[in-house]
Amino acid sequence: MIKIKYIIVMALIAAVVLSTACIAPKQEKTEVKVIYAGSLIIPFEEMEEAFESAHPDVDVLLEGHGSIQAIRHITEIHEEYDVLAVADDSLVPDMMYPEYADWYVRFATNQMVIAYTNKSAYADEINESNWYNILARPEVTFGFSNPMFDACGYRTLMVVPLAELYYENATIFDELIGRNFDPAIPMIKENGVYTVVAPEVFEPHGDKIAVRGGSVQLLALLEYGGIDYAFEYKSVAQQHDLRYVELPSEIDLRSPDYSETYNKAKVTLGFQRFTSVGVERIGRPIFYGITVPKNAPNPELGQEFVNFVLSEEGQSVLLRANQPRIPPEADNVNALPEDLRTVVTQEIKERPGEE
Amino acid sequence: MKEDSKVLGLLLVIAVVCVGVIAAVAYMHPFVAPEERIDWNLTLISSEGDEKVLTFDEIKAIPSHEGYGGFFTTGGIVNGPFKCKGVPLKDLCELVGGIDASNTVWVSASDGYLMAFGYDQVNGNFRTFDPTTFKEVPHEDLTLILTYEQDGAPLSDYDGRPLRIVIVSGRDDYITEGHNWVKWVDEIEVRTPASTNTS
Repeated sequence: MIKIKYIIVMALIAAVVLSTACIAPKQEKTEVKVIYAGSLIIPFEEMEEAFESAHPDVDVLLEGHGSIQAIRHITEIHEEYDVLAVADDSLVPDMMYPEYADWYVRFATNQMVIAYTNKSAYADEINESNWYNILARPEVTFGFSNPMFDACGYRTLMVVPLAELYYENATIFDELIGRNFDPAIPMIKENGVYTVVAPEVFEPHGDKIAVRGGSVQLLALLEYGGIDYAFEYKSVAQQHDLRYVELPSEIDLRSPDYSETYNKAKVTLGFQRFTSVGVERIGRPIFYGITVPKNAPNPELGQEFVNFVLSEEGQSVLLRANQPRIPPEADNVNALPEDLRTVVTQEIKERPGEE
Repeated sequence: MKEDSKVLGLLLVIAVVCVGVIAAVAYMHPFVAPEERIDWNLTLISSEGDEKVLTFDEIKAIPSHEGYGGFFTTGGIVNGPFKCKGVPLKDLCELVGGIDASNTVWVSASDGYLMAFGYDQVNGNFRTFDPTTFKEVPHEDLTLILTYEQDGAPLSDYDGRPLRIVIVSGRDDYITEGHNWVKWVDEIEVRTPASTNTS
């Protein structure tokens, strides 16, 4: 009988031990969810690795999207992220203030270039002053991303009209873009402003131009020789070891000194893809913005990640990834979390779009 | 001592009988979750502005099309392939007078997202990509459908429950661009360039 009791007691102990093992929470890492613009893929993958090495108990989860779509995941689809980084900083106040954010930090910039490979037609001839002539040659093909889905796409439709202004050549837009669509894409010149009106379905006719949803497809096309040239961000061209033509500052959207010039290029998109954002895009210098959404599940870690991006180590990551950096500036500096105020001391003087 | 072992034996017998009864009942009357009723309306709008509203059940009653499809996001994240079942968009347009080459079809979702499809796209003209290299690859006939079933089950909310636009074909080894895969679809409008209808 003692033996039976012993077995029962041992079985009970085993059951308690087993159930405790099943119920007891595992030592799981804390997740930091980061949603960011697709053009930051390479630097942010490295940022993830470096941040996790410095925080072994943290798992950074990255999710890349177009900038507007990234914000919509928070504001309209109501998903929760700890950090948001976008390729057009003006979107943060426009789409997130005041409910989902009340500050952001400008931390990086970029510039439009024309990327190509050694296999591209006239690769050894193209330069800053003849690129639009080369691209217009009948046998040359080029591509850009769809302005409906990618900021780099509507920025291309700004670069080309600005080229008309800069080179004083009124045929550049029509030769490169307008006439390659059916019906031709119009560009309206009114009061010194060049407005490109994109059609609902942005599909060129013929093989001269390739329009793709985003950089991913465009780079693949360029790398295997499907096109000769592509309008891209300089950082993306460098990250993929592509050759590129730098464009004059007056048209490449890199310099705040030419804000007024950039403002002369406007794009009206074919349809309002998002209820929360209108169809007009106005030329502005390219600035990346980063923030911690108000509904972040781990705001402290989110702030720590932003702090890391702005730190010396984070800046080295950006530098290694060829992502042009700028001294960080905050919008609404008074709302910045305490620990970021020591890193970001400058305030954005003029919010994009403000007169 | 003997009494103790008798009681213990009895308890054991009772436990075994209980487990047996429960197993038998479970076998004879397996638990089947009742099919959840989905309360969702889809508004179809003709190029003339006439409206027709279909319930979820009415959409499911329309002859369906099945195929495989997957997509990738702007950031290069690949989703799928999935086996999807639904109604061709073209067939839905037929319910409000059909479309011709001059039309576009605007598909709207409850979250405020909108995609415009051209005539060729409604007829399945899309590019397909290798899911690893994102290189363009040839494809079989593609069909743009409004799906309500993915991999044999109703769509999850994350996947656009209850109705999502997807691009499918008979093969599962290529993917399409994700911006076409509209989730939470609640309105489909046939438009002509001169149309002034607003959604």
